[in-house]
Amino acid sequence: MAEHRFIGQNYTTPDLVAKVTGKAKYAEDFRAEGMLFAKLLLSPMPHARVSRIDTSAALALPGVRAILTADDMPEPADSVDDTGRVIRANRRAERALTNEPLYEGEPILAVAADDELTAAEAVERIQIEFEPLPFAVDPLVSLRPGGPAARTEGNVWFRPPTPPAEPSQPPPPQPPIDVRDLKWTAEQFAEADEGRLPMGEVLDEWEYGDLEAGFTQAALVLDETFVTSNTSHQPMETRTSMAYWQNGRVYVHCSTQSVVQTVAAVSRWLGIPQTDIVVVSEYTGGGFGSKITSAISLVIPALLSKKANAPVMMRLTREEEQYVGRSRPSLHARIKAGFSKEGRLLALDFFGISESGPYEGGQDHNTSGRIVSLLYQPVAMRFRGLGVMSNTPPRGPQRAPGGAQGVAVMEPVLAKAADRLGIDQVAIHRINAPEGKAPIGGPLPQGGRAHVTSAFVKEALDKGRELFKWEERKARSGQRTGSSVRGIGVAVSAYSAGSIGFDGLFVIKPDGKVYIQSGIGNHGTESVIDVHRVVAEVLDVSWEKCEITWGNTGKHMPWTCVSGGSQTAHAMTRAAHATAMDARTKLQEIAAKTLGGSPASYRVAGERVSGPGGSLTLAQAAQKAIELGGKYDGHGAPENINAFTKRSVAALAGQGLLAVARDTYPRDGISNSYVAGFAEVEVDLETGQYRVLDYLAVADVGTVLHPRSVGGQIMGGSLQGIGHAMTQKWVYDQQYGVPLAKRFYQTRPATILDAPARMEWAAVDIPDPETPVGVRGVGEPPVGAGLAAVANAVADAVGHDVFRRFPVTCDVVLTSLANGRRVTDPLTANI
Amino acid sequence: MDFLTWGINPWRQPVLTHISWDLFWASLFAGLMFLVAHASYMILAAHRKRSAEETDAMEAVYKDLPHQIERHTLMARLFHWVMAAAMFVLLLTAFLPIAGIRFAWVEWHWIAGLVLTGSIIYHVIHATFFLDFWSIWIGPKDIPELKAEILRGLGRDVPGPKPGKYPLGNRLYHMASVVVGLAAAVTGILMMSRIRTPLVPRNPYLFSDTTWGITYLLHGAAGVALVGLVIAHVYFAVRPEKWWITKGMILGWITRRDYLQHHDPDRWKLRERKAPTAAQF
Amino acid sequence: MAVIRDVMPAFELFQPATVDETLGLLERHGADAWIMAGGLDTFDWLKDRIKRPSVVVDLSQMQELRGIREAGGRLEIGALTTLTEVAEHPLVRMQFGLLAQAAELVASPQIRNQGTLGGNVSQDTRCWYYRSGWSCYRAGGNICYADSPTAINREHAILGASRCVAVSPSDTAPALIALGAEFVLRSGAGERVVAAEDYFVGPEIDITRMTARRPDELLTTIRVPAAFAGAQFYFEKVRDRQVWDFPLVNVASAMRLSGGTIQQIRLAVGAVAPRPLRLTEVELAVTGQPRNEQTAAMAGELATVGAVPLRHNGYKILLMQNLVKRAVRGGPLRGDGA
Ligand SMILES: Cc1cc2nc3c(=O)[nH]c(=O)nc-3n(C[C@H](O)[C@H](O)[C@H](O)COP(=O)(O)OP(=O)(O)OC[C@H]3O[C@@H](n4cnc5c(N)ncnc54)[C@H](O)[C@@H]3O)c2cc1C
Repeated sequence: MAEHRFIGQNYTTPDLVAKVTGKAKYAEDFRAEGMLFAKLLLSPMPHARVSRIDTSAALALPGVRAILTADDMPEPADSVDDTGRVIRANRRAERALTNEPLYEGEPILAVAADDELTAAEAVERIQIEFEPLPFAVDPLVSLRPGGPAARTEGNVWFRPPTPPAEPSQPPPPQPPIDVRDLKWTAEQFAEADEGRLPMGEVLDEWEYGDLEAGFTQAALVLDETFVTSNTSHQPMETRTSMAYWQNGRVYVHCSTQSVVQTVAAVSRWLGIPQTDIVVVSEYTGGGFGSKITSAISLVIPALLSKKANAPVMMRLTREEEQYVGRSRPSLHARIKAGFSKEGRLLALDFFGISESGPYEGGQDHNTSGRIVSLLYQPVAMRFRGLGVMSNTPPRGPQRAPGGAQGVAVMEPVLAKAADRLGIDQVAIHRINAPEGKAPIGGPLPQGGRAHVTSAFVKEALDKGRELFKWEERKARSGQRTGSSVRGIGVAVSAYSAGSIGFDGLFVIKPDGKVYIQSGIGNHGTESVIDVHRVVAEVLDVSWEKCEITWGNTGKHMPWTCVSGGSQTAHAMTRAAHATAMDARTKLQEIAAKTLGGSPASYRVAGERVSGPGGSLTLAQAAQKAIELGGKYDGHGAPENINAFTKRSVAALAGQGLLAVARDTYPRDGISNSYVAGFAEVEVDLETGQYRVLDYLAVADVGTVLHPRSVGGQIMGGSLQGIGHAMTQKWVYDQQYGVPLAKRFYQTRPATILDAPARMEWAAVDIPDPETPVGVRGVGEPPVGAGLAAVANAVADAVGHDVFRRFPVTCDVVLTSLANGRRVTDPLTANI
Repeated sequence: MDFLTWGINPWRQPVLTHISWDLFWASLFAGLMFLVAHASYMILAAHRKRSAEETDAMEAVYKDLPHQIERHTLMARLFHWVMAAAMFVLLLTAFLPIAGIRFAWVEWHWIAGLVLTGSIIYHVIHATFFLDFWSIWIGPKDIPELKAEILRGLGRDVPGPKPGKYPLGNRLYHMASVVVGLAAAVTGILMMSRIRTPLVPRNPYLFSDTTWGITYLLHGAAGVALVGLVIAHVYFAVRPEKWWITKGMILGWITRRDYLQHHDPDRWKLRERKAPTAAQF
Repeated sequence: MAVIRDVMPAFELFQPATVDETLGLLERHGADAWIMAGGLDTFDWLKDRIKRPSVVVDLSQMQELRGIREAGGRLEIGALTTLTEVAEHPLVRMQFGLLAQAAELVASPQIRNQGTLGGNVSQDTRCWYYRSGWSCYRAGGNICYADSPTAINREHAILGASRCVAVSPSDTAPALIALGAEFVLRSGAGERVVAAEDYFVGPEIDITRMTARRPDELLTTIRVPAAFAGAQFYFEKVRDRQVWDFPLVNVASAMRLSGGTIQQIRLAVGAVAPRPLRLTEVELAVTGQPRNEQTAAMAGELATVGAVPLRHNGYKILLMQNLVKRAVRGGPLRGDGA
């Protein structure tokens, strides 16, 4: 598409007015007749066994209707994927309620009562006793010889080998992952005392190239330890859900990132068919990866509603959100990097430990390794990693999971190398930057390495250098005036940015309007609407004629990707494109059938289909489609679309021209997007405080679909990363294994006043060659760039031996400068 | 009235924090009531005195004895008064704040506690190796004396048996002080790891919550008991008929007459020593 | 009994309109009553069900304790005056800019619109162990969780700790001390006036309370004397984030100069000790000295004599030194520096 009418243009999304006027209905704004409220009883201990529960006093309280316990939880069931493969259920997986809590704050039981106050009083009246069990809130403590393990069975997940297939039998399903205990030796731990991350046995490992040779050739070899913090997602809307059952179907109003995919998730959690589930989520107050399909917060009211035989709403408090709302796992990393004298990364030995919480999530180190391999294109690289369980809240993907941590621990090494080698920071990034179909990750089983669809990181760096007036600022960086000193930093970041193979669905009705079904979640990114601009573009209809229905699977949605991994803009513009092409073909065929001539001789433009036999308006064509029936009005559907979409097609059939298609466009490579971040900071040497004066992010996200959304994502993601760099963290008491920072003001995500005084974004705006619209995702890569550009700028100002963990707070700066070296405890988790 | 005060630990388990301070008031009240009751009784029950003739007779027998009988060495007296001072500081710093008089008491308290502990250690060593160790303890042989004392207390005129160096009441008091004082001192020393001092690193997690609970309970109970004991002790020390004992603790000696009147010379045998010179008298 | 947080329990609410009514309620309900001004400290305690008063006396209806008046050069600030009003009031800004600056740096605009000056000086500490509702010293128990070999105590005290190592969180308190303010307390028994620095008590004296206010007393007025009107002021607060954050250390000074010589100075520091500290020794040492880098450096050194760092808060010594230095110097180091 050469000239774009909609793509790349700003517009006002149809959900905006409701949001800014308070009319938008979030999950907790819904009410149902006879609705009860639920409150949770949470575990007071990091690891324990419930030894006695006596609910009699609670049940005796007037207004208390039901109590749900772990015994009411359905057993995790095996499932079958789209290809018919059996996925064995992990019996150690998280359930909504438990009798063996694995972290302080894990829900034990839920009470439903007429109102929240009664429910809370009832929780207080429950007599409950726990038998404390050994616990670990620090991955290194857990790896020490004789150290405690987060679970009775051990501290790491592993996958037992698949038993060999019986002769003439299909191969047995892979066994589920299991837990075992892994310890390192005291000798391996000796290094810890010097502040270096010890390196013992790991379970995840790959390598390519000749590492030894790389280090031998290197002009500079650095060996650094860096630690990132656990950071909670803390969306503005805590995860509220309301559920009720009608005729065997469950209706859930919830706060989720992905509407259609939440049906699938609920089906897995509750063990009921997808056809018995309706998910309503029109507005979601942020998710950042923690609400990809919502989870236990939605299962509890659903099961409680069944038990109490009444609608149940559960509103999580801010404190509960801190517990069940997921978080990004910290990364303890040790990086040995060998650089040529030009700054080329010849050899990288990357070692990382994720503190992965008590359940399956949080294996972010793997992605860290992949992203690092992509971003800095090391000539030879070894990756070693391990997820170590801890008795802290479950981890989940958080905006660039693994990517942001990988960038955070690598970038200071790059900046230090530039400093030691006397190379410019931008230059060292440029010389190592991925280009075109750059390789990513370790060797594939079939040999070779995977590659990305495209990368224009050099272009982003060049654009940024110019826009940021890098050279000008460089001249004054490091100069001290009084107690203040400035520094500049650059960092690059990458993240997965697109999946393929989903469906699109819309109906052109006889009123001439295009009714688009959007199964995407509305969690602030606007992709729920934005991707459908492609339909208007391809069909050349005015945007005012497009009506978008979203947020309710009862309203017949197409099978849609999860909104996670920045895949939506890519995946769903492809689906939208495919569907618009389906509509175009159908319009052409209808025109040919009605007006004569070949379909190919008709053109769809200006809200008409015109050709040799004259033209039809969209309204007329829609009417014709109904008359023609079959595939034209949805009475027939293509085979390759998902069963979910097929049901929606059937429900919408006969209303007009029904367009439906699955994205089957080819793609060579894995889609990733990139950001180059540029920061200037001013450090106050007397207080250790610093401020980000200026920040610029230049994005390589393919074609810019909707500038304001892209800008919003870049700015928001950058600020989230800047918060990781400056202030945000978890704090755990080691003696009792309980969190001390539980509220917003204690966990310290960045605030608007911490935002750089000036903040701008730009995009290289080069279409990705492997997708029809050229669009890649944008949500995630800004985080790492924001985080690391600020860190590099601080190092540029005060030296590279000031910090070795994030966030870099004033105490770290002040004490390091006073001591002339890094003094903060580098390895203890969650301090 | 609750006897114990409970708190909650980070795991929301109940932990024993200390005894209820109601017990302090109870002990104070009991001590004062005893004092009032005893004083009234002493006034009303015109207490029996041993006849002067009996003592005169003994004076004749023991006329070789010096006029001043040494009862407490200088070191023993020093110990007693240091301990007394420490004890007062301890009790005042412990209980005045509870009674609502607020001041910075902690430093005074632990320093006094260390002084007390030091003097106890000194005393134990001193008494074991340099004094008549057993003279202060009680045993079966004290039963007749106990019987007699009770009867006398009830106003009956019973002769004999007289105590050795320490009257029975004295020894019973010592016994109670040993138990309570040691409990307070030992627990107090442990409790120093709960506060910041230059001496031991602060580590509130040295023991389990339960052990700490018991430690605090013992310390509190001992402290409260000491309130009663000290009241009784001071009361007797200032009573006119016991004044000779108090004087002995100040000056170190008692008169021959007091010795003969109140003690059984067979049970408190004076060691061979030179007669005091007149100047000392 | 299981514990649940973040849900406010029921209580009896009174909204008296006059001081007398309030005092009557306080007398009647004694320790069962909780005074609530802006509620920003109060609601935390109530919502977490840690403090469970049966009666809440909400002062919001009491117009007589709002507003700022001038009386003979001194200011009379009603305890219920919001921090925003304090920060924006022309009299405060013109004559006692120190207080305006301090008030302006409290928390966030939303909190300043709601929080009161009386509440700000009477607020409880933010020690996260104490705020978790465990039986530490401050909560009537016999343990300090914040000073143990593994405790996370980056935000705790370096000075004046006694068993409890929590710090005074108020930003306005040091400013009021530096200005020599007086706090007027009223109870059924009458009125008493205490100097700002005596309003705050340390744990060595009373480990469960932050102020000398008795439960039956109402803080009615804060008086700022004319003594330092229009003097040279310095206020600085160091915090992790630029909004929504309590001080890591703050400093307030009021100074009168004659030529280049410090004639009179009052200096106070917050968040380093369980109560805001007036640095009398530093005041004495710098009075009569020229205001220069040397005097500033000496003041900084002297300020932290006797400081005892905990495991994670050693930086507070450096920070306090530098802030005191700046307070004496009148700002950050400028020029080319060393
Ligand atoms: C997230 C957050 C961040 C904050 N950051 C800061 C900060 O950076 N700096 C800072 O200084 N403060 C900060 N605060 C505290 C806040 O500024 C409030 O000013 C303060 O907590 C209390 O003011 P209030 O009027 O809301 O009082 P309340 O919460 O209603 O009362 C506080 C206490 O004072 C007592 N009280 C109030 N008024 C009177 C009176 N007239 N007489 C007797 N007793 C009274 C109450 O009984 C209660 O114990 C923060 C608070 C929050 C929630």
